[in-house]
Amino acid sequence: MSRLRVAALSVLALVTLAAMLAPFWARSSYEVQFRETPDARPSWKFPLGTDALGRDRLTRLAYGTRVSLLLAPAAALLTCLEAAVLGGIAGFAGGRIRSIILFAADLFLTLPWLFLLIAVRACLPLNTSPELSVAITFVLLGALGWAAPARIVCAAVAKLRQSDFILQARAMGCSRARLLMRHLIPNVAPVLLAQIWIAIPVYILAEATLGMLGLGVAEPLPSLGSILRDLQGANLVAEPWQLAPAVVLAVLAGAFQLVLPREDYSV
Amino acid sequence: MTALRLVGKYGLRIAALIAIAGLASGVLARYAPGAVADERELDPRLRAESVAALRAEAEASHSLPAFLGHYVRGLIHMDLGFSRSQNAPVRELIADRCGTTLRGLLLALAGGFSIGLGLAIPAARFRRALVYDTSCAVLAGILLSVPAALLAYVCLMAGASSTVVLLLVLTPRIFLFSRNLLAQGYGAAHVHMARARGVGELRILVAHVVRPASGPMLAVAAAAASIGIGACIPIEAICDTAGLGRLAWQAAMARDLPLLVNLTVIVALVTTSAMAVAESLAPQEARS
Repeated sequence: MSRLRVAALSVLALVTLAAMLAPFWARSSYEVQFRETPDARPSWKFPLGTDALGRDRLTRLAYGTRVSLLLAPAAALLTCLEAAVLGGIAGFAGGRIRSIILFAADLFLTLPWLFLLIAVRACLPLNTSPELSVAITFVLLGALGWAAPARIVCAAVAKLRQSDFILQARAMGCSRARLLMRHLIPNVAPVLLAQIWIAIPVYILAEATLGMLGLGVAEPLPSLGSILRDLQGANLVAEPWQLAPAVVLAVLAGAFQLVLPREDYSV
Repeated sequence: MTALRLVGKYGLRIAALIAIAGLASGVLARYAPGAVADERELDPRLRAESVAALRAEAEASHSLPAFLGHYVRGLIHMDLGFSRSQNAPVRELIADRCGTTLRGLLLALAGGFSIGLGLAIPAARFRRALVYDTSCAVLAGILLSVPAALLAYVCLMAGASSTVVLLLVLTPRIFLFSRNLLAQGYGAAHVHMARARGVGELRILVAHVVRPASGPMLAVAAAAASIGIGACIPIEAICDTAGLGRLAWQAAMARDLPLLVNLTVIVALVTTSAMAVAESLAPQEARS
């Protein structure tokens, strides 16, 4: 494992630990308002200051990061589950079933995913609770992102289906279910794992974009996107500490990208 | 004959994809909560009968089969319907804004390829120049780790236009793809042979590295166009640029059925056409 990957993993572990342990070290809950100190500058009590409603920015950042770190992997898992089922069926069955599934994948790939996401998210009720809105956001991300991984899984399964050991297993009378469970799925697992790692930063960034456009997680529950929305009224030159959520987001997304095994291009 | 069959195959596929995309967006917008609500219902001066009449009118105008039938009939006469939220014909709205978005997208694509390829060629050629390669990769990684909306906001604060934001979104992707492609080209045995025989670097680059990579490069261009169209929505919404991206954003927020369906169809048409062109021009082995 390269030093860069170790460093990225260490950063991820550190940020995850800090975010997950937020209820233990944070001075208050994310929705508590200190009404006597709205828009406060950084101080010993509030290291990142407070927002316009007097809420501690550091606490909200920690809870927001926790939301992204818990739900983005869950959404990525959902995506890969869909991709495994649909891509697996397409690759294993072949013929018309493969054509139909790949056509559906093409349909999802045709429309830019952000356009699709905004259209679907905008059509959902606006009066949902914060918890439901965060669940809806990440379930949508997970549900809409299946097409590209499914194509990859389909190609991997189709290639495996032609391999010698599968042909031998079929010749020995191995049932389809056993073939799938014992031989195909374990061999496709690394592909799926890579897809999960690819999807996590994509979903964290997608939630941030949706949040900045006002279609993400509802108040008062914080997420990286909804916290970044505060930047729109900020003077970043006079108040540079307001960039902290952007820095955390970039560090998180960057670390996830670095953790992925590099494609060797130095041939 | 083969070309005709290819055109027919891609044409049918594009038509089917566009029809399904349009239908899906219509269903989505029609059955969204509050889709048939009319702001005039909130007017306290209206009697219950008037509110009921407004609701009946809204229900009738939002009937999906009626809308789709009317839409297809209108399409034959180049009539794309009327946007309730913008209070203007959809055709006019799109015609007014598509120039801004297309110009921005084309400029960003051209700039992205110029800068991305300009940075990728030395990175691929001089693979031992670790500092240069790492610096470019880190810069690209940072840009890829920031959402388009945040880039748009920072650029807006700095006084840059939405085209610059789009350029910043597309360039790192183009750089990373093309660096990998060109590095593979430079690593090929025939390139080493050509260099050993004294062939010039420019000729090696043009004839032996870039030319074989042109098929995948076209696919990168198509993918970049698709990413660019998607990124136009948050960028134009935040930079307040009067383009199709902001129009799509406003249509989605207002649940404007005619506008949303037409924009979906246009986006689907542009992206499928770009993909089909790239796929048909790509070498046979890449397609299979």
